[in-house]
Amino acid sequence: MQTFLQYTILGLAIGGSYFIAASGLVVTYTTSGIFNFAQGAIAMLAVFTYWQFRWGWNWPAPLALLMVLGVLAPLLGAALYQVVMKNLRGTSEVTKIIVPIGVMLGFQALATWVWNPTSSTPRQFQKFFGPNAFVHFGSIKVSWHEIIAFVIAIAIAVGIRLLFVRTRSGVAMRAVVDDPELLQLNGGRPERLAMISWAGGSFLAALAGILIQPMIGSAMSAGQLTLLVIDAFAAAMFGRLRSLPRTLAGALVIGLTTTYVIAYFPSKWTWSSSFRNSLPMIFLFIVLIVLPQDRLRGATVLRLRERFRMPSIRTAWIAGLVLMVVVFCLKVIMERTAVNTLTLALTFAIIALSLVLLTGFAGEINLAALSFGAIAVIVVYHFGTTGSGTDARTTLWGILLAAVVTALVGAVIALPALRLRGLYLALATMAFGVFVSRMVLTERNERDIFGLKFTIFTAGQLTIPKPKIGPFDFNSPDAFLFLCAGLFVIIGIGMVYLRHSGYGRRLAAMKDSPAASATLGMSVVRLKLSIFMMSAAIAGIGGVMMAAQIGTVNSDRFDILLSLSLMMITVVGGIGYISGALFAGLFLIAFVQMLDLTLKKFAVDYSSLEAIFLFFVSAVTVLPATIGITMGKNPSGAVSDIVNGLDQIKQSKSLVITLVGLEAAIWALTATDVITNWHFVILTMINLFIVPVIGGKVLLARAMRGVPKPVPPELIGIDRPFTSDDLAEMDRALDLEGVVVPSAGTVREGATGVSA
Amino acid sequence: MSETNYHEDHGALADAPLIELVDVRAAYGTIEVLHGISLSVPQGSVVALLGPNGAGKSTILKVVSGLLQPTAGEVRLAGRVVNGAPADELARLGLCTIPEGRGVFPNLTVRENLWMATMAGVPLADVEEIAYARFPRLGERRKQLAGTMSGGEQQMLSMARALSVNPSVLLLDELSMGLAPLVVANLYEIVAQVSQEGVSILVSEQFARTVLGIAQYAAIVLHGTITRVGTPAELEDELSAAYLGS
Ligand SMILES: Nc1ncnc2c1ncn2[C@@H]1O[C@H](COP(=O)(O)OP(=O)(O)OP(=O)(O)O)[C@@H](O)[C@H]1O
Ligand SMILES: [Mg+2]
Repeated sequence: MQTFLQYTILGLAIGGSYFIAASGLVVTYTTSGIFNFAQGAIAMLAVFTYWQFRWGWNWPAPLALLMVLGVLAPLLGAALYQVVMKNLRGTSEVTKIIVPIGVMLGFQALATWVWNPTSSTPRQFQKFFGPNAFVHFGSIKVSWHEIIAFVIAIAIAVGIRLLFVRTRSGVAMRAVVDDPELLQLNGGRPERLAMISWAGGSFLAALAGILIQPMIGSAMSAGQLTLLVIDAFAAAMFGRLRSLPRTLAGALVIGLTTTYVIAYFPSKWTWSSSFRNSLPMIFLFIVLIVLPQDRLRGATVLRLRERFRMPSIRTAWIAGLVLMVVVFCLKVIMERTAVNTLTLALTFAIIALSLVLLTGFAGEINLAALSFGAIAVIVVYHFGTTGSGTDARTTLWGILLAAVVTALVGAVIALPALRLRGLYLALATMAFGVFVSRMVLTERNERDIFGLKFTIFTAGQLTIPKPKIGPFDFNSPDAFLFLCAGLFVIIGIGMVYLRHSGYGRRLAAMKDSPAASATLGMSVVRLKLSIFMMSAAIAGIGGVMMAAQIGTVNSDRFDILLSLSLMMITVVGGIGYISGALFAGLFLIAFVQMLDLTLKKFAVDYSSLEAIFLFFVSAVTVLPATIGITMGKNPSGAVSDIVNGLDQIKQSKSLVITLVGLEAAIWALTATDVITNWHFVILTMINLFIVPVIGGKVLLARAMRGVPKPVPPELIGIDRPFTSDDLAEMDRALDLEGVVVPSAGTVREGATGVSA
Repeated sequence: MSETNYHEDHGALADAPLIELVDVRAAYGTIEVLHGISLSVPQGSVVALLGPNGAGKSTILKVVSGLLQPTAGEVRLAGRVVNGAPADELARLGLCTIPEGRGVFPNLTVRENLWMATMAGVPLADVEEIAYARFPRLGERRKQLAGTMSGGEQQMLSMARALSVNPSVLLLDELSMGLAPLVVANLYEIVAQVSQEGVSILVSEQFARTVLGIAQYAAIVLHGTITRVGTPAELEDELSAAYLGS
C-alpha cells in the first residue's frame, strides 16, 4: 500500500508535468495551426539555462526562475513565432511539420554546442527546496517538488480553461482558429494573439522541463530531454489537440502507468525499463487507433505555395546516365575515404528516395525512415547472409526479405493513422521510431520466444557484409559504390515511371484533394497504404546498403533525430524531386562532413585562428537545422531554385559550355594531382551551384532589357493576341503535353462560354 | 449627427464621399482581378455592386475592408488615404464588414460571437442589448454554438454585429446567400433603416431587385472593371436585359 501511494504521487506529478507541456502544444496549435515539434527542445533549453543560472552561476532560485520562466522562455516563444512560424501560413502540412522539426534539431545542436555533453563535471539538477525537502503523510514521505508539480498542473488546467472561456483575449484565441480574417474584420489582431500564445506555449514547455528533469532522476542530456517531452505528445493527441480536460486525463494516465511499471514489474524482467520508456509511444499509438476518423477535407489545402514538376521519362533516363558517368569520373580522382563518404551519401540518398515517394508524391509523412532501415538490417543480419569472416556476403534473397518485412511493418504502423490527417501519420511514425530506438534496439539479451532462442540486437551492434548478387560480388569499395549509384538510379527512374502511370496520377489527385478522390470512387486508404509500404521497403533497402557500407552499425545509426534531419534536408532539397533525395544524401553526409573536415584542417593549419575555425565547426552542426527553418520562405526547396536557374541557362549555349568546360578543367586538374580533392569539391560547388544562379540572374537581366513586361496569363488574348506559342507554353505549364484534345473547336467554345 | 442634417447637406457631402476608390487595381498573387476601379459612396447612401459570378465584387469589398492591399490606385475613407492600413485597425475605426457566406465563428457561442464584436469599442452589455432587442431569436440561443444554427440565424448574428458596433461604414457581401427570399427582404429592410441613420453602405448582391429597392446608386461590375454607374431607375432597362435575363 505504501509503495502504491508513493508511486501514485510520483505518477501524478510526472503526469502533471506532461500535461503542462501538452497544454502548451494545445495552446499554440489552437491559435496558429502549427504542431510545435520543438516543444521538447524548448523545455530542454530551459532546463539547461536554469541549471546555468541556478548552479552554474549560483543565482538564487527565485531569480533564476523569474529569468527563465518570466523572461527568456516567453521571449523565445514570441520570437519563434515572429521570425519563423508566421511565415508558414498557406504552406502545406509537410512544411508546417518540417520547420518546427528544424527548430527542434537546431536547439538540440545549440545545446550540445553550448553545454558540452562530455564535460568533466556532471551537471546536477535538483528538486525545488533541495533533494531532502519532504513532507510526511503518516508513513509515506513526499517531496515538496512533486507536490508543487501536481498543484501547478491543476492550477494551469484551471487557468487555461478560465482564459479560454472567461476572457475576451482567450475567446479571441479560439476565434482565430475558426477564421482569422473574420477576427480581423471584428477589430481583433490575430497575429498578436498567435504571438502571445507562442510565448505562453514556450513558458509552459520551460515550466514542464524544469519540473520534470529532477523527477526522472538521470543526468541532464539534451537528446533525452528533447524526446522526453515528446511523451507529452501522446497526451495532447488524446485531447485531439483541443480538449484540455482530456489532455489532462491522458497525461495523468501516462504518468501513472509509467511509474507503476517501475514499481511493480519484477526486476528480473530486463526489458521493463525499455518498456517504461516506450510506454508513452505505445499509448500514442493506441490513441491514434481509437481516434475517430477525420472528416475528409478537400478545399482547405488548395493553393499551396509549393510547386513541383516531374521530369519526363526520357529526361529521367538521361539524368540517370549522367549520374553514373559523374560517379565514375569522381571515383577516378577520389581518395579512398572520399569514395567511402560518397557511397554512404548515396545510401542515404536511397533512403531519402523513400521520403520523396511518400511525401512528394502522396503528401504523407514518415518521420522514422531510418527505423525502417533498422528493421531491415535486423532481418538481413539474422536471415540474409552467407559465409563467414571475409567471405561473408549479404544475399539478394536477404535484401528482398528485408524489403518485404519492412513493407509489412510499415503497413501495420500506417494503417491506424491513414484514416487521419497527415500530422497524425507523422506522429505515428515518430512514435514508431522512438519505440524502435527505446525498445527494439536496446534488446541485447537472448530471449526465448516460443522456444526460439533469439537476440535482436546482438551486443549492441550488427555486422552487415557487402552484398553478392548472382555472379556479381560487390565486396570491393568501387563495386559497392557503383551498386549504390545504380540502385539510386534504378529506383529513381522507377519512381518517375510510377508517377507517370495511372497509379501516379491517382496519387497526385489524392494529394491535392482526398475528398474529391474519394467521391470519384478511389479507395484513398488502399492507395495510401500501398505507397507507404513501397516507401518503407525502399527505406529498408537503403538502410541495408548503409549498414553494409559502414560494416558494423550500432543503434545510434538509426537514431530518430537522424531520421528527422534526413527528412528535413530532403524537404529543403525539394521533396517532390528525385534529385531532392540526392541533394539530401550528399548534403547530410558528404557536404557536412567535408565542411567539418575542412574547418578542422584549417584550425590546425592556421593555429592562430584556431578558435574561430573551431567555432565554425560547431556552427556546422547547427547548419542543417538553420537551413530547414528557412523552408517557410521557400517551400518548394533548393532544387527547384537550381532547376529554375538551369532552365534559363539551357537557353544560353555559351553558359552551358562554360559550365561543362570549367568542370572538366577542374576535374582534369584533380586527376593530374595539381589540386587536391578538397579544392575539387569546393570549386565544383562554386561552379555548379553559384555560377548557374548568378548566370541566370545576369541572363535574365539581359533578357529583360528591351523585352516588354510579361503579360499575366489570364490577360493574354485581351492585352495582346493569343499565339500558338502561348498555347504550347500553357500546355507545358499544365503538364498537358501529349494529351489528345478531342476537338479544338469545342474546347475553345467552352472556354469563351465560361468567361462570358 | 442628426438625420435631417445629413439630408440638407447631401449636395455638399456628395462631393466628399465617405468611401472613395480611385483607379484601384488588385491581384491575387500575380493574377490581377481588378483592373482600375473608381467608385464613390456618398455618406448615408447605399451603393450596390452588381455583376456576374467572379466579376470581382467581393474583391472590391476586400480591398475597402483592408484585407487585400491594392496594387495601384487609392482607397479613401472619409477623405483619408487608407492604402496599407490593416483590416483590424480600420474595423476599430468604425468600418464594419460582413464577409461573404461566413459572418460568424462557428465554434463560438452566440454570446462569444457578440463578445468578439466588442473589439470595435462598444461594451458587451450594449452589444447584447441591441442584438437581442433586434433579433429575439438570438437572445434565446446565446449559449448555442453559432455553427449549429440555421443559415438565417447565422446571418442574423452577423447583422447583429453590424447593428450594435455603431459603424460609420458598412460593407455587406452577399447577405442573401442561401437564404429564403422572405428572410432576405427582412434583412434588407434592416439595412435600409441603418442607412437612414447616416451609415454609408456598400453592398454586393445577387438579388438585384431586392437591393435596388433600397440602393441610391448601383454599379455594374464586369471582368474586374466597372462598366456602368447610375441610379436604379437609370440602370433598370440595362439590368433586366443583360443581367436579370428577363
Ligand atoms: N483568394 C483568391 N485567390 C485567387 N483568386 C481569387 C481569390 N479570390 C477570388 N479570386 C478570383 O478573383 C476573381 C473575382 O472574384 P470575386 O470573389 O471578387 O468575385 P465576385 O464578383 O464576388 O463573384 P460572386 O458573385 O461569385 O461572389 C475570380 O475570378 C476569382 O476566381
Ligand atoms: Mg463574391
